[in-house]
Amino acid sequence: MNRALYAAATGMAAQQQTLDTVADNLANVDVAGFKRATATFAALGDGLGTAPAGLLRSFEQGKLEKSGGPCDLAIEGAGFFRVERDGATAYTRAGAFSRAADGSLRDAEGWRLHGIRIPADAVALDVRPNGTVVARLPGNASRTLGRIELAQFDAPERLQPLGSALFAATPLAGKPRMVAPGGPHGPALAFGALEHANVSIYASMIEILTAQRAYEANAKAVQASDEMLRIANNLHRG
Amino acid sequence: MDGIQLMAQAMHAARARLEISASNLANVSSTAGFRRSVARVHLGPEGLSVSSAADTKPGPLERTGRSWDVAVAGNGAFSVRGTGGAIESERSASFVADGEGVLRDERGRALLGLRGVVRAGWADAVDARGVVRDASGKAVEQLRLAPGTSLRSGFLERPNVDAVREMVDVLAAQRAFESAQKTLSAIDDTRAKAVNELAKVSG
Repeated sequence: MNRALYAAATGMAAQQQTLDTVADNLANVDVAGFKRATATFAALGDGLGTAPAGLLRSFEQGKLEKSGGPCDLAIEGAGFFRVERDGATAYTRAGAFSRAADGSLRDAEGWRLHGIRIPADAVALDVRPNGTVVARLPGNASRTLGRIELAQFDAPERLQPLGSALFAATPLAGKPRMVAPGGPHGPALAFGALEHANVSIYASMIEILTAQRAYEANAKAVQASDEMLRIANNLHRG
Repeated sequence: MDGIQLMAQAMHAARARLEISASNLANVSSTAGFRRSVARVHLGPEGLSVSSAADTKPGPLERTGRSWDVAVAGNGAFSVRGTGGAIESERSASFVADGEGVLRDERGRALLGLRGVVRAGWADAVDARGVVRDASGKAVEQLRLAPGTSLRSGFLERPNVDAVREMVDVLAAQRAFESAQKTLSAIDDTRAKAVNELAKVSG
């Protein structure tokens, strides 16, 4: 009976972890560039229950939406923007950039986008689907400032999250490959748009309901094995 | 066979059934590709014994949207190489590239094509017949499939556990345990009477 007790307890813990993960996904449903996670589990074998096997992040494309922000960018396809965070390179798909006084483009958390410096007299920016950044200057002049390149990983799932939508490279994720957007099969940039979190509220709701009922079922199995122990203890009536 | 022994075996059997249901329930919605165990109780000359067998009925497919979440629709299997080198068949797995780019499942087993292990760097997607294509749509590899296998990329097979049936089994096991215990107590009472009262000298 102890086996049944412990197996059911692993089931309750698994549902708890599923709920935690879904709650985190829902909390970030409005964060541009957020990627949802799923708690994964592996059976323990020999009827011992289940054990957590880590979080798996889904890098499925989020919906693009016109945002109208003067420096907003969204990636359509695989890849990450490279930003400088405390001297190290970090990777993000959150493209809500804004101009800073020092001429850099900074994301919503204030980290600097690699490789682009905007002249102080630029009136507006334009970013082509192939990543070319053009500054419009006073008097109908314009100047090309450079090209935004994207980093791709063999296993983006293995990147280390640094907050909601920012990631650090890890050896398991593989070496970052730099790709220029706008190729025939590669990623493209959308200017004036943002990528929504790839979280579906409806799917999350169903996950919550399922987890809740599964938790209850496992709790009942705990009760049943407890009841058996009680009966067994009452066999001996002195 | 002695009645008390038989009832003790019945209590053991009920406990084993509960253990199996509890393990099925622990994996009810969370463990991809899990197969439920079915308890079988046999009555032989040695009394009651319980064995378990895996229920091979496929579980429902759930859309995940990750291109390297792969599941088999209907019958069939694909091949993976275990960490010990043995080739095993599998029906549903989340493949993630390791540090060398080799696609591996949750248990570290590498996805196999006809030319060896499959690498993520050049492989972008897999179609229903197991053809692996790169980003430009060019076929670069063919997965090793059992004959007649139809793959679904972006799907995982959920456990084939039905929570309702398991809950009924939990209840049934619990009640079977109780009735065995009641019968055991009744036999015990009868014997107590025989020992303590039949032999009593009246008067």
